[in-house]
Amino acid sequence: MIRIPRDQYQAIIEHAQREAPREACGLLGGHGERIERVYPVTNRAELAVEFFAERGLIPPGRDYRPDAPGSIAVERFFMDPEEQFRVLREIERSGLDHLGSYHSHPATAAYPSRTDVELAAFWPNMLLLICSLAAPARPVVRAFRVYEGQVSEESILVED
Amino acid sequence: MAVTILIPAPLRRFTEDRAAVQVEAKTVTEALAKLDELYPGIRERICEPDGRVRRFVSIFVNGKDIRSLQGVETPLADGDEVGIIPAMAGGR
Repeated sequence: MIRIPRDQYQAIIEHAQREAPREACGLLGGHGERIERVYPVTNRAELAVEFFAERGLIPPGRDYRPDAPGSIAVERFFMDPEEQFRVLREIERSGLDHLGSYHSHPATAAYPSRTDVELAAFWPNMLLLICSLAAPARPVVRAFRVYEGQVSEESILVED
Repeated sequence: MAVTILIPAPLRRFTEDRAAVQVEAKTVTEALAKLDELYPGIRERICEPDGRVRRFVSIFVNGKDIRSLQGVETPLADGDEVGIIPAMAGGR
């Protein structure tokens, strides 16, 4: 079971709401099964077009330019690498462990997509929190790990 | 020219769980070669066979992405920190 303080849990939801309709993303620091702090990271999906394209993760006919109507950029996240590195260092310096990441699904369920599962291969077995805003009044956060393409879910206990 | 290479969690299974490894190197290429001598197989997780850094990996020298420096030929000085991280990405 994953434990997380309520204010940090709420921070994930608020970040997701701020970024919508784009995906929000960030990193998780803590110890063992307890998340102690969440760290928002800038989503640079619009700069990673080749990264997604060479993995077949852009559906044919979809426009990638961020401002184009129906752009796929709003349905992807790619953490700004320099910021990601800086935050990972900050997590370590503060004595926490890097436990995983979070991101939002502004319009779909809180379950790893094919894209999520494929790209989780770079970070096997790390925690993957997904915040769904599919029902805007009732955000849903669920926790997963992906190992060799297999998704397993962990329950979340929000601590007051 | 001792530099410190920071190993990301997913690659620590190559480094006996070490988060940081010290090597003697004057460039990033040389640092990666030395790292691979110590922990065979780790370099191919980071670089293409032709030596270019894989697109999903970023390498940093003192926090600066080497793509904005001199790539794998970026020179290293004593005490420099070389960071390696795989991309973190996904989507609905």
